[in-house]
Amino acid sequence: MRIGNKALPVGKISLLIVLLLVGLLAVGCTGIRGSPEGGSGATIVDETIFLAPSLKQAGGFGCSAPAVEGKLVAVNAETGVQRWEVPLGGAVSSGGFGCSQTTIPVAVYGSPTLYGDLVYVAGYNGKIYALNAESGALRWVYPREGNMDSIVGGIVIALDKLYFGCADGNVYALDAATGDMLWEFATEDKIWSTPAYDLGALYISSFDKKLYAISAADGTEKWQFEAGGAFASTPLVDNGTIYIGTLDRYFYAINAADGTVEWEFQAEKWFWTRAVAFEDTIYVGCFDNKVYGLNALNGEKIVEFDLESPVRSWPVLDEDRVFIATEAGEIYTIDAVNNQILLFADLAETIYAPLSLSEGVLYVYTQEQNLHAINAESGVRLWIQPIS
Amino acid sequence: MGIGDIWNLIAMQPVINVLVVLTNVLFNNFGLAIIALTLIVNGAMFPLTLKQIRASKAMQEMQPKIAELKKKYGKDKEKMAREQMKLYKESGVSPAGCLLPLLIQMPIWIALFQSIMRVLAVIPENLAGLSQYLYSWPVVYSALPLSNDFLWLNLSSGDIFLALLVGASMWVQQKMVMTPAVDPSQKTQSSLMLWILPIMFAWLTLSFPSGLALFWVTSNLFRIGLQYWIGGWGGLVKSSPKRDTGRDKKYKKRIAEVEEAPEGGADIVPSSAREEDLSYEESGDKRSDRGGGYPKSPRDTKPKSRRGGGHRRKRG
Repeated sequence: MRIGNKALPVGKISLLIVLLLVGLLAVGCTGIRGSPEGGSGATIVDETIFLAPSLKQAGGFGCSAPAVEGKLVAVNAETGVQRWEVPLGGAVSSGGFGCSQTTIPVAVYGSPTLYGDLVYVAGYNGKIYALNAESGALRWVYPREGNMDSIVGGIVIALDKLYFGCADGNVYALDAATGDMLWEFATEDKIWSTPAYDLGALYISSFDKKLYAISAADGTEKWQFEAGGAFASTPLVDNGTIYIGTLDRYFYAINAADGTVEWEFQAEKWFWTRAVAFEDTIYVGCFDNKVYGLNALNGEKIVEFDLESPVRSWPVLDEDRVFIATEAGEIYTIDAVNNQILLFADLAETIYAPLSLSEGVLYVYTQEQNLHAINAESGVRLWIQPIS
Repeated sequence: MGIGDIWNLIAMQPVINVLVVLTNVLFNNFGLAIIALTLIVNGAMFPLTLKQIRASKAMQEMQPKIAELKKKYGKDKEKMAREQMKLYKESGVSPAGCLLPLLIQMPIWIALFQSIMRVLAVIPENLAGLSQYLYSWPVVYSALPLSNDFLWLNLSSGDIFLALLVGASMWVQQKMVMTPAVDPSQKTQSSLMLWILPIMFAWLTLSFPSGLALFWVTSNLFRIGLQYWIGGWGGLVKSSPKRDTGRDKKYKKRIAEVEEAPEGGADIVPSSAREEDLSYEESGDKRSDRGGGYPKSPRDTKPKSRRGGGHRRKRG
């Protein structure tokens, strides 16, 4: 190999290539692995919005450590002004230039839950926090020492009991007032979804491809349904039927009483989000960029809309309108009476978190760490508040 | 379609889907799938790797001659470069033979690396992002998400034993191809390469998921096996060189011819027939007679026509 009269220094070039390769591998770390970002939906009670913001990724050599600690924030729903914020723990990088961290950062995926005077939030660090909704003061934390496996789903509270699923494969029931554990129920793989509560039963899905019906009182199993793929989505219970999609591309309607399949519908990609029901129509978004309107009685496709971007965020129902957001930041409304779709707003920001609606205002939290308040009727943006 | 989309289409998607299918076939064991795919890819790149190892070996064996040239023309860099190129040309060794295969293999390794990282999909963002890479094969949808357990390992987090194994196997692999350096500066460079890279990779491995370390270890072991097959333990055990294969002999003979030639080496005419004759005459070894006998002198022998399109130099 020769350039002009000069021979190329092969040894040095080889070394350069190897170092380049190492560099690329390291850079690949930031692009692929990263740390959990989280970012919950907004929960609105008495003109206060409770929200756990997503963690912004910091740059750096080969490592994407979170730049901020996870926290819970209370915001005035009318003005967007922050009332209080409480850090949920710390994230410490191990040093060095790799990607490892000594503790898991407190990303929060599940929306906060209000019950009585407490607001509850589940952290990816494997802890459940109960805080005073007025002041943000910590009431209790579970477990009191150490951490569980990561918690990706949210919390459901009914009859003074708090329920959640954990990546260790267990469903836990805690006393909502004290944080004492009441019972646990084991599945065979990770749980990333939020349980659904209905008439004394708890319905929860797992990566073990099963949907479980459990007695909310004592955690005994009522039935289980096995699908062809893992479940990452949260079930919707409506009129004695459970509606849930899976990673095997099927959307199922399951009888809540005995776990038998009423119907199934196949899409082109994964179902990740929860569905909403309006009368006899089920609306569900999919990773194939579509929203399907299905007949709740027989699973027949009534309508489909191609939104040109995957749907990950939970939709929300406002009387006869379904609000649904794409990852690309477009929010659509579907008129559920005549199945007409309209572009409601284009935020041009990434939307993963569930949509929330209260008093005619739609709240959307984006991965760019902005909380948007939009008038649900007119589409006028009321305010945008950076929450970081 | 951007360059990222093209990369995903031709590199990432096929590798990711094959990884998932292999996991499904290999008892839902992602660790076995990583090992299997690494071996498959190594096997597919076998001719390139072989070429690269042989070229590197031949280059290293030329080092004494290059050192001599350096001594002779050290001050005149232009002359030195010219003579060095002449030497490469006459010995039939091309520096590109070391670099080209490495350059061709690099994108494949990067695709494999990125795919393993993607399929591990530990956090929700990564698993959700994985869906855009999947083919519409039912087996792919039923297999995901994959279990990260393999032996004592959690393939999604670092492991110190595997990190040490990566460093050790890389050291062994490099040591095997290393020949004693004549030039002190070259000696320093070799020593640096021998120690710094394994330490660096071991350190990096600790930070990466051990699924990736498994890929590195498997790949290193494959190359160690290949190098042993080609040239024995090489620099690892000096006293036990393995018999060279025909191709290695060819490289060595060409180099020997250049080294033995008068300065400039322009009157050297290597030929496979003459090379064989020389070696037997010099070593005194016997071989089974295939008829035709041996020519008395290399000069009496006309070059034989060669198969495989290998280039032949004209008489000077």
